[in-house]
Amino acid sequence: MKKQIHLRVNGMERSLEVEARTTLLDAVREQLGLTAAKLGCDIQVCGACTLLLDGKPISACSFLAVDADGCEILTTEGLSAGDRLHPLQEAFMDLGALQCGYCTSGFLLTAKALLDENPNPSEEEIRDYLVGNFCRCGCYQEIMEAVKKAAGL
Amino acid sequence: MKNFDYLEPKTVAEACALLKQYAGEARPYAGGAYLSIVMKQGLYQPKALLNIKKIGELKGIRFDSNDGLVIGALTTHRELETSKLAREKFPILREVEREVANIRVRNVGTIGGNLASGEPLTDLAQVFISLDAQVGISGPSGSRTLPVEKLFLDFYQTSLADDEILTQVSIPSLPARSGIEYIRFSSSSVVDKPCVGVCVRVSLGADKKSCEIVRITLGCVASTPLRAHRAEKLLAGKTFSPELVEQAAAAAAEECSPLSDLRGSEKFKRGIVRVLVRRAAVVAYDRALGG
Repeated sequence: MKKQIHLRVNGMERSLEVEARTTLLDAVREQLGLTAAKLGCDIQVCGACTLLLDGKPISACSFLAVDADGCEILTTEGLSAGDRLHPLQEAFMDLGALQCGYCTSGFLLTAKALLDENPNPSEEEIRDYLVGNFCRCGCYQEIMEAVKKAAGL
Repeated sequence: MKNFDYLEPKTVAEACALLKQYAGEARPYAGGAYLSIVMKQGLYQPKALLNIKKIGELKGIRFDSNDGLVIGALTTHRELETSKLAREKFPILREVEREVANIRVRNVGTIGGNLASGEPLTDLAQVFISLDAQVGISGPSGSRTLPVEKLFLDFYQTSLADDEILTQVSIPSLPARSGIEYIRFSSSSVVDKPCVGVCVRVSLGADKKSCEIVRITLGCVASTPLRAHRAEKLLAGKTFSPELVEQAAAAAAEECSPLSDLRGSEKFKRGIVRVLVRRAAVVAYDRALGG
């Protein structure tokens, strides 16, 4: 049995029909075509599937789409303002904070949530917040530098 | 994941009635941090999930002089971590929550779900047990309370009946001159489930020397969180000393039953228990002296 849900995705009202078992990640990738968030570990460990739900990072691989009914979702596609990239995106590019890019969307959104919550984080606070996002290319140093740059540190 | 009925009861009573109707084939769903994983892995295939997230009576953190700090089952790990009230009453809770999994899990996972899952590789239960906390449970025929210690029966098995819901955790205020410490040890990544987690609480007598109440709770080294009763008895009523703590730590390492797995061998985990009991006891004692 399918259920209709209403979401506000990147500022736009969307309604979808989903099964109870459909994950939010599948709904966003397959029905809305927003594929920045990726399936990684599938057990809430790696952070590749991170989306912001009402401003908070969640693992979309393990979140039921029906449970997001009525919520606001931000994906990496919604980070830029028109042609202007988000300062975090600019900083990631400037500092080469990625190689394969698989984890990048999750890092960007998690860092955005951090900066929204705490605009002047210490290095330790950045580390504590991002500790649950994995980069298998090992760009951690550059990612830290990029987040610090975007935060004006 | 197999499909299932998805229901949204508005009250605890309605949720319990639905659970009864599904006779063991349904489960309350809040954050889904645990359920989504076991369902995706095919380990659990319920006929229905009851999303209880919108039930107001299960939300919020409050304090009153009778019940102490009352944490609604729907409180997320992150809410407990950032709660000013919780931090003021039991600062240990924030220290523990800061290290639970990662920010995403803390944003969705709930205190009620954490306990009701019966997951043995966890942190909070050890702290709640050391604080003599109780859980509130509601079922079709009424409510009951239970010490957190009595909630856990075996790996992923709790004493919640199929038609019962865990509604809250209440932590009584500590006696004067109490101190508590929790130490979690991870053998791989810091965001991994703990390899061993040990909580020690000491409440001193009026002389500020004798240990009036001692709680030593070991996590991840048995099928449930475990009180190290023999270790506690070695310290209870005695004057705190490094030699006594060493004996208690050795006793605790013997009275648990860790499994050898990817997080360490049985022998290794016993060694870690011993070290953590010793370290946590010293910190708890120092804090008790200061309190």
